[in-house]
Amino acid sequence: MQVRNHKKILWLSLFLLACLFIIFIGGAAKLLIIAALLAYILDPLATRIESRGLSRTSAATLLMATLIAGLILMLVVLVPLLFDQLKSLQTGFGGEKTSQAMERLQTMVRSRFGFLGLADVDLMEKMTALKSGLLEKISKFLIEDSISLIVHSVSIPFIIFFLLKDGRELKKRLIRMVPNRYFEFSMDLIHKMDQQLGNYLRGQFLDALTFGALATIALWLLDVKYFLFIGVFAGMANLIPYVGPIAGMIPAIVVSVLDSGDAMRAVYVILTFAGLKLIDDVFIQPFVVAQSVDLHPVLVLVAIIIGGHLFGILGMLIAVPCTGFFKVVLCESLQTLKKYRFTA
Amino acid sequence: MKNFFRNSPESHAKNGRSDLPAILSHVPIFADLSKREMAAVVRILHEREYQAEEIIFRENEPGMGMYIIHTGTVAIISESGQLQLSELSDGAFFGDVALLDDAPRSATAVAKTACKIFGFFQPDLFALMERDPQLGLKIVFRLARLIAERLRKTNQRVQELNQELQKIKSAGMTHAS
Repeated sequence: MQVRNHKKILWLSLFLLACLFIIFIGGAAKLLIIAALLAYILDPLATRIESRGLSRTSAATLLMATLIAGLILMLVVLVPLLFDQLKSLQTGFGGEKTSQAMERLQTMVRSRFGFLGLADVDLMEKMTALKSGLLEKISKFLIEDSISLIVHSVSIPFIIFFLLKDGRELKKRLIRMVPNRYFEFSMDLIHKMDQQLGNYLRGQFLDALTFGALATIALWLLDVKYFLFIGVFAGMANLIPYVGPIAGMIPAIVVSVLDSGDAMRAVYVILTFAGLKLIDDVFIQPFVVAQSVDLHPVLVLVAIIIGGHLFGILGMLIAVPCTGFFKVVLCESLQTLKKYRFTA
Repeated sequence: MKNFFRNSPESHAKNGRSDLPAILSHVPIFADLSKREMAAVVRILHEREYQAEEIIFRENEPGMGMYIIHTGTVAIISESGQLQLSELSDGAFFGDVALLDDAPRSATAVAKTACKIFGFFQPDLFALMERDPQLGLKIVFRLARLIAERLRKTNQRVQELNQELQKIKSAGMTHAS
């Protein structure tokens, strides 16, 4: 009996090692994590379709077909708009108002921060360098990474489809590998984790989506250039606690001040973002984020640094949900473990 | 296209699951289910194999659901009372109350011989209710009926014991007077 249990523990350890290996192989791991997170968020929708009498395969197919159709429709509408905004970024900030604002800013920086070695700083030159650098990066991403972009846009829905269709069976097979003594404990743990994580991840996703949409509308009403880019970025940045909302606001301030040459625009943007954050905290989060996973600010910061180091900007964005995931796993494991007498 | 994740009928037979619907049809909560409904239940059962003397679940630990014995013998033991409450074999089921409440297990289940059992758990029942409410309701209703029947029998037994107690008391009083 002991040998059988040891064998199972060995298999389980091997599986966990394989998971860790996947996590550290980079690109594929990023793909898997994104697909798994999305599949997890979409799972209740597939179940709801299934409850209408369709098989799981049909429900997953229908859901994916609807999502892909929606994505294509969004691309048809949004891509021209995004390209327009990219084009205007190439020519933007060249107006008289921008030059005047930059000159005023340059004089102020030279006079007040001269002691920092900024007495001869040329802000316009730095701005042009930053703009061309940014454009170069975007073009490089669109051209050089287009193949991986296509591969990702095909493989992610493919993985999501199979996780939606066969996720339950995969989970069951995983549980089957658990030794008998730890079987009910694993069932208990997986069930509790599923409930907590489901609420947390779906809540985060809905919150980011709502905040992004509201930010886009607000920036459009304020007539801020590249409102779509900044709004989408603000929504995604909102996933990161503490620093996220500020990180989302800074591009809006920079763009609106440079575009209009009016420093008061910064105040409007700050007030708008403060209002949005208030709406988010009072109305959106209590409804969509059913159970918050409290993460210590230092832990969040460390997670963002590690995420950024491993997978870049995307890593920084998925770092917080992933840390939330590990915190739930750890806390629930410890709490559930207390109820069982494994030492006896 | 072959689905690598799903068991084929041959593999079901190899796993010894082909006779499972017949066994399940004798379990009151799964009785009279249609072929499609039975297949949906079979899909969510967890197959486990235990050696003799191996503990299936322990008294006072959280209960996740019920077990149906495919082959073998299981003893239900009260650890607190140090006595064997019952011995169950092929086709019998135990631990069904855990499907409804979150109270800890009231007894310990130990395999007396090598056993193959199938577990049916609360989270799977809840998930089944979400995706097939009709089937879920059917199972929960039968479970409620089973527990009501047990309650009725327990009430009857309590009444009988009460009557016996009254008789003993009155006999004692007569004897004393």
